[in-house]
Amino acid sequence: MTFDRDARAALADGQLRGALRQATTLFGERRRAALATVPDWESARDRARAIKDETLAHLDRYLEEFVANAERAGARVHWARDAAEACDIIGEIAERRGARTVVKSKSMASEEIHLNAALARRGIEPVETDLGEYIVQLAGETPSHIVVPAIHKTKAQIAALFADKLGIAPSDDVATLTAAARAALRRRFAEAELGISGVNFAVAETGTILILENEGNARLTTSLPRTHVALMGIEKVIPRFADLDVFLQLLPRSGTGQVLTAYQSLLTGTKRTPEDEGPEELHIVLLDNGRSRMLASAVTRQALACIRCGACLNACPVYRQIGGHAYGSVYPGPIGAVLSPQLFGLARSAALPYASSLCGACREVCPVKIDIPALLLHLRGQVVERGAGKSRVLERLAFRAYAAVMQRPHVFEWVVGVARRLRIMPPLAAWTKWRDLRPLAPRSFREQWRAGLRDQGGADA
Amino acid sequence: MRSGDARAQILRVIRENLAQGLEPSPPRHLAAPGSSPPVPLSVPESSPPVPLSVPERGEGRRSPSPEGRGGQGVRIQHFTEQLSAVGAQWTFVRSETEAGAALARILTEAGARRVVGSDAPVVQRILQAVGNGIAIDRLEQLSRDDLFACDAGVTTAQWGIAETGTLVLESARERSRLLSLVPPIHVALLSTRCICESLGDALARVSTSSHAITFITGPSRTSDIELTLVVGVHGPQTVHVLLMEES
Amino acid sequence: MRVSLFVTCLADQLWPSAAVGAVALLRRLGCAVEFDERQTCCGQPAFNTGYRPAARALARRQIEIFESSAADAIVSPSGSCSAMVHHYDQLFDDAGWRARAKGVAERTHELSSFLVNRLGVEDVGATFSARLTWHDACHGLRDLGIKHEPRRLLRHVRGAELVELPPPGAETCCGFGGTFSVKYPEISVAMLDEKVDAIERAGVDAVVSGDVSCLMQIAGRLSRRGSTVRALHLADVLASTP
Repeated sequence: MTFDRDARAALADGQLRGALRQATTLFGERRRAALATVPDWESARDRARAIKDETLAHLDRYLEEFVANAERAGARVHWARDAAEACDIIGEIAERRGARTVVKSKSMASEEIHLNAALARRGIEPVETDLGEYIVQLAGETPSHIVVPAIHKTKAQIAALFADKLGIAPSDDVATLTAAARAALRRRFAEAELGISGVNFAVAETGTILILENEGNARLTTSLPRTHVALMGIEKVIPRFADLDVFLQLLPRSGTGQVLTAYQSLLTGTKRTPEDEGPEELHIVLLDNGRSRMLASAVTRQALACIRCGACLNACPVYRQIGGHAYGSVYPGPIGAVLSPQLFGLARSAALPYASSLCGACREVCPVKIDIPALLLHLRGQVVERGAGKSRVLERLAFRAYAAVMQRPHVFEWVVGVARRLRIMPPLAAWTKWRDLRPLAPRSFREQWRAGLRDQGGADA
Repeated sequence: MRSGDARAQILRVIRENLAQGLEPSPPRHLAAPGSSPPVPLSVPESSPPVPLSVPERGEGRRSPSPEGRGGQGVRIQHFTEQLSAVGAQWTFVRSETEAGAALARILTEAGARRVVGSDAPVVQRILQAVGNGIAIDRLEQLSRDDLFACDAGVTTAQWGIAETGTLVLESARERSRLLSLVPPIHVALLSTRCICESLGDALARVSTSSHAITFITGPSRTSDIELTLVVGVHGPQTVHVLLMEES
Repeated sequence: MRVSLFVTCLADQLWPSAAVGAVALLRRLGCAVEFDERQTCCGQPAFNTGYRPAARALARRQIEIFESSAADAIVSPSGSCSAMVHHYDQLFDDAGWRARAKGVAERTHELSSFLVNRLGVEDVGATFSARLTWHDACHGLRDLGIKHEPRRLLRHVRGAELVELPPPGAETCCGFGGTFSVKYPEISVAMLDEKVDAIERAGVDAVVSGDVSCLMQIAGRLSRRGSTVRALHLADVLASTP
């Protein structure tokens, strides 16, 4: 299990921790300021969650409605049961459409299915156009945050990277670095034959897909090339066009503290006449990849309500210390800790549900009120029940002993009494390496109770 | 056919899993609106071109519009305040002549050499006022490389949203998608009568007979490098709204 | 008012002053206090680590013990243990046990919440001269909504000056999280150090909290870092008289 090792490496990285501290603090402050601009934030959250619950409870019907309306408007819809199938579908579209230059805007689902690697095997190299994703792609790394993928890199590191890959003179001016990326990507946009995007929301009522962004790269990706492929998890569907309102109120504020991102593209099918602007073909790929299984119980189903805002990452005191890479998954942070085991299997991600102090800050900031701690506890129960992950022989024994002792108060007192007299504490080096351990009190409460406190006699503090 | 199998299988797995988890989640929130099985809705008809007029109260609004408190005037002011807050610029104009003059000034000050206008008749008219030394193109005539070489794109906007300082473009009404995106300067002509109050209002007004509806709130931006804000990335760096005052 | 004390295993064995102080305090305010010696642990460690059958067994035991009490209220000097009892119904599929769990949960109160919300008391007649800061234990804060109660109680303590913790603030987790503190000690201590840094910046004599688990975590690091700041349970302060 690499989580332990990667978390330790992250903790030892002072620069990373400083960057994380700054980012999460800043986003937290901006979020708080932004939600004050919504008259009734709590009821907006309730409404959004209600819409998601309604949708998920009838996901099959809403998906069918979405597909019917999208197809009626000219889109072609494909269904992908798993990552491999989705990659095949997209790869075949790319080949059939003769795509040599492919541009991509932000899509976590595409990283989930390892699309870039699959396309590379077909000799197609998609270029990431979201600045943070572009940086991460050039560096051969993976994103470390849902909203700011390159948060773990300093501008000096980025300057060196651009000097190496783009041939520009190193600069520590962020605007100059951004302009260099813009120039490099502009050429690609001009040439691109295929654009691949994600989808933030898919409206069943109209067959519309909505894409939010700040940079303009998603607009370029979805309007210039003659083919647009939009990849979406099946849980992205919402019932009505008007429902977009509450989600657009919640998502930007929760994620970055903006009232609205610079652009929202609402795309419904393909252009109506050849002279219109936009792609000739729109392909929407619906991705299951384990999501449908999560519908089986209310506690797991709620994770499908996630709108990928990133607020939980910014609020999480664990994420703040270790960042996204330690989670070893395309989905990091609190939501990642509950999604990854369910999408990719408990065996691979057994550590993640435990990488939390259960503080609940994530639940507090989640715009759709996902009870992440309850989900973490549910998954921990599953891990133990199924024996997933590393061996827990000692731990099982310890809890068996604990349960046995705690059901027998006299045994409980005796065990602790012995430990107190012999001055033995459990060999918790994991505690004592960093923290002093308070010795057992000379007399426990119940001893004092029996010795006189019960009868309102004297008591030592 | 593979996709047909996949569709059937995915829907089946969804239904099976939903049947398992029959107990709805414990209500910790308001009852879901319309929680009975959804009725398939009919395809929305394409709306006829809407003449510029005072927007009516939209449905699904979350807060009452300040109609009673001086109405559209307050709304226009709110809109311009928000435009400034999001980094867009704006100029009031009272006629096409003034619009043309303002446009000419904006482009000259920006040093624009090559400008492309949309197919909206009013855009073509006000571009007449733009002086010598600035080449005017039409989108249909431009190759892609030419489009990327343009300094400014001029369009109208179908709606403005006061609450957020947002411009709304509908593709069925005008070919403004690329002109509001590729050139680094975007100038948009908007009638003050088309400013609605909220996002919800705008959503109630647009029609998905437009295959592309675009909401634009200020210039493009990013904070991906060390959280430092840079304005002007892949989309325009400058957004200038010409507010046509119409009673 | 008759109160049955839910002492919690940690307070009982590791921080008895919290329980002793709670008893003294409740009596001072006119409550009769009973203590059922059969109680041991609410099962939270097992529940939080994924050992649900063990947690269920201890939950049943706790429910049976406290059901048998005729007391008006069950009061605990621990937010997390009180919250655990409030989550008991999630452990049972059986409707009967769920109802019983809810019944006990309704009567179970964390100490500060009991004083302020049930007894309607904010001034408990305490004296404690010191500059203090409060740490919000996560379960008490987010599961039970306890936020203003301890602060109001502390503000009425004669001689006490209460200041809010500087960023990352009183509400940020101390890093204990039960077995998390020993499964991921480096992360736990990284979180803890941020909290202790804030405590030291606050320039206080003591940090006060309502949960023995947090206190152990914070006290353990304060002393390891050679700090003179003390860690105190709310009941330690509120029970204090001249």
